[in-house]
Amino acid sequence: MDRAVIEVLARRAGLDKALAEFPEDVAAAAEQASGAIARMKAPTDPRAEPWPPMRTGAGL
Amino acid sequence: MSELHWLTATEAARAIAAREVSPVELMTALLERIGRLDPKLNVFIRLDAEAAMDAARAAEAEIAAGRVRGPLHGVPVGIKDIIDVAGLPTTCHSKILIDNVPAADAVCVARLRGAGAIVLGKLSTHEFAIGGPSFDLPWPPARNPWNPDHHPGGSSSGSGSGIAAGLFPMALGSDTGGSIRNPASACGIVGLKPTYGLVSRRGVFPLSFTLDHVGPLTRTVADNALMLDVIASHDPLDPGSAAAPTGRYASGLERGVRGLRIGFVRHFHETDLPAHPEVTVGLQNVARSLQGLGAEIRDVNLPTLGEFGAVNRVILQSEAWAIHGPWLRERPGDYGQLARRRLLAGAFISAGDYVQAARRRLQMIAEVEAALREVDVLLCASAMDPPSRIDDAAETERTYPRQARTPFNVTGHPALAMMAGLSSNGLPLSVQLVGRNFAEATLFQVARAWERAGGTDEKHPPAM
Repeated sequence: MDRAVIEVLARRAGLDKALAEFPEDVAAAAEQASGAIARMKAPTDPRAEPWPPMRTGAGL
Repeated sequence: MSELHWLTATEAARAIAAREVSPVELMTALLERIGRLDPKLNVFIRLDAEAAMDAARAAEAEIAAGRVRGPLHGVPVGIKDIIDVAGLPTTCHSKILIDNVPAADAVCVARLRGAGAIVLGKLSTHEFAIGGPSFDLPWPPARNPWNPDHHPGGSSSGSGSGIAAGLFPMALGSDTGGSIRNPASACGIVGLKPTYGLVSRRGVFPLSFTLDHVGPLTRTVADNALMLDVIASHDPLDPGSAAAPTGRYASGLERGVRGLRIGFVRHFHETDLPAHPEVTVGLQNVARSLQGLGAEIRDVNLPTLGEFGAVNRVILQSEAWAIHGPWLRERPGDYGQLARRRLLAGAFISAGDYVQAARRRLQMIAEVEAALREVDVLLCASAMDPPSRIDDAAETERTYPRQARTPFNVTGHPALAMMAGLSSNGLPLSVQLVGRNFAEATLFQVARAWERAGGTDEKHPPAM
């Protein structure tokens, strides 16, 4: 992820202090997030529902 | 009778009820051992020796008077320090919560006390159950009793290390991406992540609401079933709690595996994340052994570990950001570096990404459910490597994500990790068993068959 984009997103999230004190940690966190998002395969079926949080799968 | 510190919870409870061992005698032996070994292992953040001894004396008096509180009367238990114990700080191993003292016990702790268990103290964890092993926190990380130069797994590190070292027979842990099963694997004990919703999370500091599970760590399968019998219950005040029937988890322990169908998820350790050769041999040995005992072993395919891991990560980091965002904005320097990096990631995940992960999660649950309609239990790797050296940050960073535990936080199915054998350098190797929702009894049945065949409950760290 581009450093400038990371900075914009971090400031929008209110992370000015973290950016000033721990810029490498903020950059590493952004890379982790984009890596996980890239590895995830979103369902192609537009009707695919999310898992209702707080329920187990017994009745699926 | 075994030396007192190697008594299992089941043995200790029986001996105490029969007045063959007094709770005070047992507590004295364990506190002496803790005093000797804990400086090398860093299991405890807070040892509550005085209160534990007072409770042991009270238990002794009650039992002498014929009043037995429950199946764990007089048996000591350790509590991971993200779980509330009234009057003791719940620090989450972090400077952020160093003065956080809860007024009430977590539900799981209250249930243990109700059954007569005695709380010994609060145990080391990775910071907020995600950042570790770390050397930049107010307390050092726990170490592995099989070799203190090695990592005991995490995040329930103190729970795993203390049980394997004979400091206590049972402990509570929590598991969001494998944090009960990882220390069980690294320390050669038994750790269960129960079905999502089976054990109340009320009074447990959250990491990720929809992935968090609370469960037992013990030295034997029978102890694990006994402890689950006590802590499993419906809690109407926990929004994730399931209204499922509970109890009798030990009822089929000695039934064996003849006729059971076991699905071997080989691609996890063969192609998704190729395992260390000794791990592979250990898994094959367990599968062969169960087959020899009469189980049918079939190959089963599930989504890849890479995909499970990504879904787990997006959900975990999004939900954790909702919890930690305010502190990360105001007090980023009060976190250790590992937790800070992992928790900040949630700031870079959009609402849309989170929903996509939840949608894929539902499909993955359906895929595991479909597999479990064809077999009774799944068998797969837990860790892909023996425990790393704790001072080798690069090796820990490399091996930590090489695991097959996160899939079952994503799907919520019960999953148990236990010893598969020992590596050539004497460190535990592990195996994982996964069951249908709320079918923990079947999981224990298979785990007990392997425990008996492999003699894994008789193996203790030689240096301890």
